[in-house]
Amino acid sequence: MIKERTYYPSLTGKDKKLELPVNAAAVATLSAHYDEPVWLRESRRQAWELYAELPWPDRKEEPWRRVPLREFPLEARRLVLAPPQLSSLEELPPCWLLPDLPRAHCTGLLIHNNGGVCYADLEETAIDTGVVLQDLHQALESHEELIRQYWFRGAITRPDFNKFTALNAALWHGGTFVYVPAGVRVERPLRTLTGYDAGGGTGLHHTLIVAEKGAKVTVVQERYSLEAEPELNSEIVEIYAAAGAWIRYVSLQNWGKQRYTVSVQNAHLERDAHLVWGSGSLGGAATKEFLRTELRAPQAHALMRGFTFATGQQRLDQSTYQHHLAPNTYSDLLFRNVLRDQSRTVFYGMIRMEQEAQNSEGYQANNNLLLDKARAHSIPGLEIMANEVSCSHGATVSRLDPEQLFYLLSRAIPREEAEYLLVQGFLNPIIEHVPLAAIRAHLAEEISRRFWQAAS
Amino acid sequence: MNTLEIRDLQVRVADEEETGILKGANLVIRAGEIHALMGPNGSGKSTLSYALMGHPRYEVTGGDILLNGESILGLDPDERARRGLFLAMQYPIAISGVTLYSFLRAAVSARRGYKQTARDSGGGHRRSPLLPGREFRQEVRAEMAKLEMDRTFLRRYLNEGFSGGEKKRAEILQLALLKPEFAILDETDSGLDIDALRIVAAGVNRLQSELNMGLLIITHYQRILNYIHPDFVHIFYEGQIVKSDGAELAEKLEAEGYDWVREQFV
Ligand SMILES: Nc1ncnc2c1ncn2[C@@H]1O[C@H](COP(=O)(O)OP(=O)(O)OP(=O)(O)O)[C@@H](O)[C@H]1O
Ligand SMILES: [Mg+2]
Repeated sequence: MIKERTYYPSLTGKDKKLELPVNAAAVATLSAHYDEPVWLRESRRQAWELYAELPWPDRKEEPWRRVPLREFPLEARRLVLAPPQLSSLEELPPCWLLPDLPRAHCTGLLIHNNGGVCYADLEETAIDTGVVLQDLHQALESHEELIRQYWFRGAITRPDFNKFTALNAALWHGGTFVYVPAGVRVERPLRTLTGYDAGGGTGLHHTLIVAEKGAKVTVVQERYSLEAEPELNSEIVEIYAAAGAWIRYVSLQNWGKQRYTVSVQNAHLERDAHLVWGSGSLGGAATKEFLRTELRAPQAHALMRGFTFATGQQRLDQSTYQHHLAPNTYSDLLFRNVLRDQSRTVFYGMIRMEQEAQNSEGYQANNNLLLDKARAHSIPGLEIMANEVSCSHGATVSRLDPEQLFYLLSRAIPREEAEYLLVQGFLNPIIEHVPLAAIRAHLAEEISRRFWQAAS
Repeated sequence: MNTLEIRDLQVRVADEEETGILKGANLVIRAGEIHALMGPNGSGKSTLSYALMGHPRYEVTGGDILLNGESILGLDPDERARRGLFLAMQYPIAISGVTLYSFLRAAVSARRGYKQTARDSGGGHRRSPLLPGREFRQEVRAEMAKLEMDRTFLRRYLNEGFSGGEKKRAEILQLALLKPEFAILDETDSGLDIDALRIVAAGVNRLQSELNMGLLIITHYQRILNYIHPDFVHIFYEGQIVKSDGAELAEKLEAEGYDWVREQFV
């Protein structure tokens, strides 16, 4: 039986509505709006300079080669900071809610809409042990030094990684901060929802997750949007796992049809740290993701599992990087894509083993299932500087297996239903890694909806 | 009366230049009859069973297949199955990611023409409705108990990692739930241990009498026919039935092999 739990909900943030064009003045306006410490003002200002200097990525650069950058709404954008003043959670767009998810199954819930926090709660026992699940702006009041220590420190979560990350660093607004102190184990997931409704603007969210020594936490981040016209999104996720920490981060995106996203996510693992990283991509017009795992100390261990289901004209493009920098590290990545209609997916997977990474293992597989006339590109790569390592990579692009299809048909199952079962079966080994039955059921529904809508 | 009639059936492998595999097979199976089909390796027995079920790799170039007097050549395999045809395969296919339970539920719902819309998830899905989970689970468990199958199989992926004998038992579980009018068992006995053979045979006999099925049992050995008594035994040779007789024909084959058949037909 689930115990009575006490949560501390606050339905509205302190954010006032703010609307700004993207320019140098906006940088100072945001800093003033949030009453930010000097170092952060400086960090924004420098990032803006970088942004002004850097060109947009060129399609001659390999990771951008197949990204439809010309379709991205890069210019004439505006920032909107307008979190709705909720009086109850039911006021959120219904498609963002998981009504079957009992509140007691999560330790905390944090919701952002239109760049500001609109709901937050956290169980009392978690608060007592020092766990934080908070809007990043608010957390700066109580955890400034900590945030500063981890601010844009990942290998790719840096302002100068590209013009998109510079834009985020200069003008980010709305952020998720998760902190678990040493030795604290958060038994049930923390859930965070990042959304933009029709009143939103350019998305520049920053997620920062820090687990100290021996801490344990699961974070599920969901993303939704309902923009009325093409909108840009440049997002940062930074994960830091200290020695012996255990983090499961499940990153789900179901962006609206007109959202163009660049998402840069980096996980930094110390000795004996353990990461389970699940990634699900369903929505958006076009999405470019950079997902990097840095295994920085011995016995760091990372498991990455990802799926996408692309339909219509969608473009889903991922660059993954497993970086082994220390001996006896382990990483295993499996990403599976289902594509239909004229959609396209691109997967660049790289495993790099530095000379120091002796006795490490790195595995990578990308499987693509094509329905219709879709196209999948899969470009795996290995860079190995050490001699005592074990590595493998594999990529497949295939269609439904006719023998499996026949077997299902011979059992009376109609063709489309049989195809659906095979698609489900293809994705199940990934979905299994998602915590909470209600979220898995929700993903199954989304996959079913995509399959049947496209089929009809 | 229900009948499955194979008329001068000629079949070749689609997209292959080679000449046909089936060269005019004839057979009539009536409801309640048990036919055994025996023949050397490569004579075309599995090809016949695939052709009956409508496997797209096997192209019918002549003849006909009639189910209750109606040609089924134009029907897809799922439609044939819904009309009451079942094939227990010599080599059942494994499907990773699809649990035995969800597969059985989809199959049985389709076979029974279950119409009531399952939990509607909105968005105008055309997903086929599924039998209510609770009742179906009970039914499956009961059948598994009769076949002495562990119910943990339901959570496993379909045939993935199943032993040879476990796969064959799972085929008979499907037969039991789909309740066909005509069933073809393609070497269901091979891979079964002595106890499993007895259990499976008892299951087939029970279903046969319950459903008054017509059965076509493809086998290489007399053994299974000691449990499931055939009304007719046919010898399949180079794509045709070359001899038909009573149960004693199987005993003759067991004792003498196929040499005398070859001598007769070269
Ligand atoms: N898909 C295929 N492609 C090419 N040849 C095939 C194919 N299917 C069957 N054949 C050939 O047709 C012939 C008949 O095969 P079939 O599997 O029907 O024999 P069988 O009587 O069932 O044999 P067994 O007793 O070994 O199971 C064989 O020579 C086989 O190699
Ligand atoms: Mg055979």
